[in-house]
Parts: sequence; structure tokens; C-alpha cells
Amino acid sequence: MPQNYVPIFLFMGVAFAIPAVTLVLFKLVRPENPHKTKLMPYECGITPLDDARGRYTVRFYIVAILFVVFDVETIFLLPWAVRFRWLGKFGLLEMGIFLGILIVGYIWIWKKGALEWV
Amino acid sequence: MTLGTFIIVSVIKIVIALFVLLTGVAYTVWLERKLVGRIQNRWGPTRVGPFGLLQPLADGAKFLFKEDITPPHVYKPLYIAAPMIAMIFAVTSMAVIPIGDWVTVAGVHTPLQITDVNIGLLIILGITSIGVYGIALAGWASNSKYSLLGGLRATAQMISYEVALGLSLVGVLILSGTFSLRGIVDAQAGTWWGWLPKWNFFQGQFVAFFVYLMAAFAETNRVPFDLPEAETELVAGYHTEYSAMKFAMFFMAEYANMFTVACLASLLFLGGWHGPLFGPTWLQEILPVFWFALRVFAFIFLYIWIRGTLPRFRYDQLMKFGWKVLLPLAVANLVITGLVVALRA
Amino acid sequence: MPGAISQWFSAGDYLLALPMILLSIFALGILLIDLMLPPEWKSINAWTAGIGLAFSTAAVIRIHLAYARAGQGVLSYTGFMGSMMVDRFAIYFFYLFLVGAGIAILMSAHYLEIERENHGEFYALILFSVVGMMCMAAGFDIVLIFIGLELMAISTYVLVGFLRSDRRSNEAALKYLLLGAFSSGIFAYGLSLLYGLTGSTNLQLIGEHLATHMRENPHDPIAILALVTTSTGLFFKIAAIPFHQWAPDAYEGAPTSITGFMSVAVKAAGWAMLLRIFLSGLYPMRPIYVPLLVFVAIATMTGANLAALTQNNLKRLLAYSSIAHVGYMLLGLIAGSSTTPSATGIQGILVYLLVYTFMNLGAFAVITSLRRRDVIGDEIDDIAGLITRAPAEAVLMLIFLLSLAGIPPLAGFYGKYFIFLSLIETGHYQLAAVAVLYAVFGLYYYMRIANAMFMRKAVDTRPVTLSPAMATALAITGIATVGIGIFPDLFIRAAGWSLSIAQPLQLTSLFH
Repeated sequence: MPQNYVPIFLFMGVAFAIPAVTLVLFKLVRPENPHKTKLMPYECGITPLDDARGRYTVRFYIVAILFVVFDVETIFLLPWAVRFRWLGKFGLLEMGIFLGILIVGYIWIWKKGALEWV
Repeated sequence: MTLGTFIIVSVIKIVIALFVLLTGVAYTVWLERKLVGRIQNRWGPTRVGPFGLLQPLADGAKFLFKEDITPPHVYKPLYIAAPMIAMIFAVTSMAVIPIGDWVTVAGVHTPLQITDVNIGLLIILGITSIGVYGIALAGWASNSKYSLLGGLRATAQMISYEVALGLSLVGVLILSGTFSLRGIVDAQAGTWWGWLPKWNFFQGQFVAFFVYLMAAFAETNRVPFDLPEAETELVAGYHTEYSAMKFAMFFMAEYANMFTVACLASLLFLGGWHGPLFGPTWLQEILPVFWFALRVFAFIFLYIWIRGTLPRFRYDQLMKFGWKVLLPLAVANLVITGLVVALRA
Repeated sequence: MPGAISQWFSAGDYLLALPMILLSIFALGILLIDLMLPPEWKSINAWTAGIGLAFSTAAVIRIHLAYARAGQGVLSYTGFMGSMMVDRFAIYFFYLFLVGAGIAILMSAHYLEIERENHGEFYALILFSVVGMMCMAAGFDIVLIFIGLELMAISTYVLVGFLRSDRRSNEAALKYLLLGAFSSGIFAYGLSLLYGLTGSTNLQLIGEHLATHMRENPHDPIAILALVTTSTGLFFKIAAIPFHQWAPDAYEGAPTSITGFMSVAVKAAGWAMLLRIFLSGLYPMRPIYVPLLVFVAIATMTGANLAALTQNNLKRLLAYSSIAHVGYMLLGLIAGSSTTPSATGIQGILVYLLVYTFMNLGAFAVITSLRRRDVIGDEIDDIAGLITRAPAEAVLMLIFLLSLAGIPPLAGFYGKYFIFLSLIETGHYQLAAVAVLYAVFGLYYYMRIANAMFMRKAVDTRPVTLSPAMATALAITGIATVGIGIFPDLFIRAAGWSLSIAQPLQLTSLFH
């Protein structure tokens, strides 16, 4: 029933309101003493050299892509698991083939070193 | 019940739940400080109130009155939004977590759950996935190299373990046949031979239980997977540039996540609120909540105990563990569970 | 096997899907075997891919024989609840894909060693993309067609970018990926509009519901939007102007054997998908889409022919010539969809695709063979004086170029012949005149290449060595180009058979 979802949004609303209200309310009592050294980005006490928007290692993108692939696999597995008994042995075989293809892919990425450090 | 009654009852439950949760979070901090202190052979907070019980209040007051330094080099909209995202979505999982059976209060027959959607587990998985955004955006918006890298490493860790987390739940779903958390708990009712409870843990999901627990430890960034936080202590991390209340929100989010994990582990693997019922009717309605709270407390205690005991993983060990050990274990678990259930049917 | 869901699947479904299943198994096998192979045994991957194609061809022959045995009794076998229809049309295209992939693999083996990118994934990706193409050709449900499209496209994106250290290859792959992703998105949007209008994802039901819908409101803007967005995706895949922007860059940057594969098999798959959707699903919207097709066809022929006139890079030139050929084929579709439709038009498209497979692959094979360790081999300067360095190859290239231009008695002539015949049958005289005019343009830039080969002095005088596989590929394509030109009847009847028609008829119940 769709009305069951309304409390979730109410919850989010209340959970948003509490910190928002406290932040705004207590702005009145908070001190405000900006100072140059307090406002610099923290870099162990030395002055920062350049902007943070530089380049970083590509391994993060590989992790993200692998996550997407396996998360989509999980998404397919979850409804199958819920209707497991109705789908019977035939469903198990079909999902087994699906998992098999993904396991081939998993072995491939393992051997190719995509999971190193990662 | 009518829509109006339903909304009013829900709002009351929301307020109570939020109050209990936030107080629980605050006192979990106290418990952690005390227990870790005792493990390390020192007292922990003792001065502020008896046994230091008013310490969380003092800390809260400090956070509220502290100067909120917003550095000029940050990207303001995301900088402010990130801790709110982290906290809101960490807390919202509570909306679908049941803590007991149906009760009748003041003539209203209502479940001890804010709302019972029939895809509860899926909602929790989705909400925890969105929570990762809070950390990634915090690292990026802070516009400082350490924050960015810290945020990226934390995000990479969390999404790596999310895969294992999701896969470990598939075995539970095969046994229960429903996403609804109340349904999963109801499928674990009863006992074998009068004494062994029919929890999922004993129905064969012990591997899944441990995979879930370890993946959840990594998802919540707790020892031994707390490199994103240790970076805070060592150098920096995604919440370097944050101060006062926003910093507090990140920590509230972390402890709220711990709560969610503890509740889920109790519901999915340890039978929820099932336990021996005795006494008069009013007691029998309260006892499930007590058994559930006992389990949750046990998990929180486990979290703190491990924190005081184990060293932390190096980052490459962490990633290797998530992808090369937990994922195959979870897949093997689901394959075996599927085979056993199909062949037995 | 027990289980409530098995009531909807039967063994016959899996027989129809057997070509795709076998190719998938072999592709997965190549992925696993490649991990264990030492570098000097990498050619096993090519052999495995070839064996996989052979097994798949055997499966297609098996389905073909089932049709031959059943005679005129059964029109088409459908499977998987009507979403996959492996009918004669699909079988024709299956053969085309398998032949195209086979020749591409023959061309690639030595080429990959020179490029130092001899990985097994190359062959696995080619096989996967053929599986995707088969899903596109046999798909009778827009969901299956889309899945096949994405499978083929993603495998091709990676193949285009396979030369990891070559910047042009990376750039080509990125451009192809971005434009392909956008056009797939627009295509999916159009398909979703079709579903919304008709309430079904099966092409036959879509056609029927659209027919009643168009009778009630003939100028429904939602239907027109659905048509335009769907055709955008389709035209992108076949690289018709104005959606051709990816083609010259992708063709130029990709490894040359993949350029050949793309220009032949991917294009055939795009045409299979286009014909299925236009002639089954969107058929009731004929009065609306024929003017659209006319515009696109003329724009394509004009733009491609004019652009090809000034190209110095052989691969880009052949890319534009590819686009020009698509323009001619679109004319066949116009003839096949006009108010008194002519089946010859569609038959012409199928014949064109068949001859195009061989002649284009042959031309790309010659260019591939020019690649050596230090010279890329795709500029006109590299092919200069080929007659002195490798006379057999130069003559073969001349044959391919003449066939591309449409000179009888070579194969390319029959492609254009049926298209123009159908245009005249349906009364599109101006279009026929324009097309013939552009064919002359084509002759110019093909003969430019021939001029460089025969008349100019060789810039690079080293002789061209051919690996046995490459020689085989050249032999096959050369013999096919000449052979189809001299004995066209068998292939014309094959194209007619694939449309289930004995002689040129009015298109009554096509694909049903």
C-alpha cells in the first residue's frame, strides 16, 4: 500500500528539521572570530601549495565500475531469492547460468590484476 | 485504520523513535569511552555526573556553542549538505526497523515499527547506499587534498563492502521468501526440539552472518576497518575542514549506522524479538522489545569490544579482503543455500 | 524440470537460441583460456573463436534445415513467448554476421601481433558482439532488440579502443562511446513512447495497435515524437547523416580489422534492426516516415559523397563511402515503404548488404595488410605504387574498388541494380536520377585510390608480406566479389527467400 511509504518521508523531514533548526538557532549564540590561519586548509601546519582539484589515481574509477557491475548482479539476485520456491529448480538453473557468467568475469578481473590494491 | 489516524500514530512513533535513537547514540559514545577506557585499564569519563553519565550532555553543549569555522575555500552548498545527507540517511533506516510485535496502545492496534513496507530490507540497502554520498561529497567539497583523498578512500572502501553485504543477504531471503523485515522475523519463530530457536543463524546462514558482520563493520567505518577515521587522527580525512556541529553530525551518522547494523543483524540472523515469553499480558507485550534490545546491546558491545582490542587494517589489505575473500564467500553461501533449499523441496 | 516458471519455456526455444548460446560459451571459454596461455601460444584464441563461429554456423544450418523441411507450411519459428523470431530474415542475417566475423578474425590474427596487443579478449569481444547482433536480428520484442543493441555496441566500443597505446584509438573509442550512449538513450526513449502508445513491447502488437491509433488520429504528435526518437537511434547505428559524426573518427582510429568488422557486420545488424522496426512496428506510420527517409537519404548521399572527395586517409575515405552506401540502401527502404510498396526494394537492401560484406571487408583487408611496425598504413601515400610491391593485392584492391563503385560484372553492381530497379518500379524517378549521379561521384574517389596504386611511384618500397590467414581472407573476399558478380542468381534468390517471397510481390504480410 503506497501510504505505507509516507512515514518514511515524514521521518526524513523530521530528521532534516532537527539539525537544521539547531544549526540556525544556535548561530545566535555561537562566537564568530575569523582569523587567517584558522581559515586556511589544513596541511599539517605548512602553507598549502596548490588547489585540491588535481589528478588522482585511476584505481578509484576501476573500483567504482566493478562495484556497479556487482551491485547490478546483486539487484538481480535479490528478487530471484525472494521468489525462490515458486521458481523451482528451473529458476535455480537459470540463475546459476547467470551467476556462472558473472563468475567467469570475476575470475577474469582477478587474474588480470584489477583487484590488486584496488 | 483511517489515513488520518495512521499519520498521527506514525508521527508519534517517529518522534519517540528519533528521541530514543539520538539519545541512544549519545550514550553509545559514553559507553564506548567507558568500555574502551576499561579495556585500556583507565577509568573513562567519571567527573561529569555519576559515572560520567552527563558527559554526552556536556559534549552536546560544547558542539552547539563552539565556533563553526567555515573556510572560504570550500564549495559552500555541498559543504553544508554533506553532513546533513550523511546523518539524515543514517537515521532514516530506523523507519522500517521493527522492534517488537503488534501492540494495542490506547485502543490503537499498531506494530512496533514506524511503517511496515513489504520491501523493507531493500529500502535499508538503498538508504545506506545513499549515505555513502555524504562522505564522498564532504571530501570533495572541502577542497583540500587530504580531504579529497580521504573521502575517496572511504567511499571506495564502503562501496567495495556493500557488494559483499548485499550478497550475504541473499541467503536469508531464500529462506524467508520476503523482503519485509517483519516477515523475515516471523519466519524465524518457533524452536526445534523445544530449545533450539529457529533463527537464520542456526538454519545454515552462519557464514552469511559472519560475512554480513564483517561487511557491516567496514560499511560503518569501524575498527578494524576505520582507516578513513584513522586518517583523521594521523593526517586528515574527509572531515578535516569541518568543525563543531557539522563534525558532530558525521559522528552521529556513524553511530546511527552502527545501530542500524546491530538491529539488522538481530532481525535477520538472530530471530529479532523472539524469546521466552512469560508473565501477565502486559509483560508479554513488552518482553519482545526487551529481547530485541538485549540483542542490539550485545552487538553494540561487540563493536566497542573489537574497537578496544584489534589493530586496524592497511588499506590494500582492506580492499583485498573485501573483494577477494568476502565476495567469494558470500557467493558460495548463496549458491549452497539455493542448492540445499531446492533439493530439499 | 519442475518450477512454475518452466511452463513458458520449451526446448524449442533453446534450439532457436542455440547459435547465440554456443557463441557465448566459446567467448567465455576464450576469456578463461587466455588467462592460462603463454605469449607464444596466443593464436589458440583465434582458433577457438573460429571453431566457435563454426559451431554457431552449424546451429544456424540446423534451423535452416528445419525451415527447408517444413516447406511453405510454417512462416516463422518464434520462441521465448514471442520475443525472439528466428525466421528466414534472421537466418540470412545470421549467416552475414558469422561470415563477417570470420573474415574479421582472419584479418586480425597477424595484425594484433604487429600492434603488440594480442589479447584473447579481442576474439571474445567479437564473439559477444555477434551474439548481440543475432539478438538484434532475431528480436521481435523491443526489449530484446535493445539488449542486443547494447551488447553489440559495448563490445564494439571496447574493440574500437583496443590499441591502448594509440591515442587515436582512445579518442575514437571515447567519441563512439559518448555518441553511442546518447543515441541509445534517445532510442530507448522512443521505444518507451511506443510502449506507452500501444501497451505492448511485441513488434507485431505494436504494429497492430499503431494501425488503429493512426487511423483515429493521423497526426498524433506523440506518435510522431516516438517515430523521430526511435529513428534517431536507428540512423545513428547505420551512420546516416545527420547522425554520422562518430563514423569517420571511429573508423579512422579503430584497429583496421575492427573498422572492417564495424563497417560490415555492425552496419548489417543496424539494418536488420531498422528493417524489423520500420516494417513491423512502425509500418502503419508509413506516410509520415517516408518523407523523413527521403530527406535523410538525400542528405546522406550528398554529404558522404562530397566529403569523401577530399579525404587522404584511406580509412576515413572508406568510412564516408560506407555512409554513402547507406544512403543508397535507404532509397531501397523508401521504395519498399511507399504507397504501392515494392518488395524489390527490401530485397535490394539485403543483396546490397551481402555484397557489401565481401567487398568492404576485402578493401579493409588490403589496408590492414599494409600495416607494419613503423608505418600505420592507412594514408593514400602508403598505398602508392602497390602494383610494384604486391601486384596481386593491387589487382584485388582494384576489383574491390570497382565493385564498390558498382561496375558490372562485379558484385557491387547487383546491389545498386535492385535498389534503382525498385525506385523506378515505384515511380521515384528523381531519386533514382540523383542516386545514379552520386554513384559517379563515388567512382571518382575510388579511382583516386586505384590511381595511387597503379600510377604513382611507391613511397615505401618494402614488399608486403601476407600471413596465411590474411591471404585466406583476401582470397575469400576476392572470389566472392567476382563470383557473386558473375553468378548472382543464387544470392538474389537467397535474399528473396529470406523475405519469404518467390518473386517481386506487393508487400502484404511481411514478417508475420
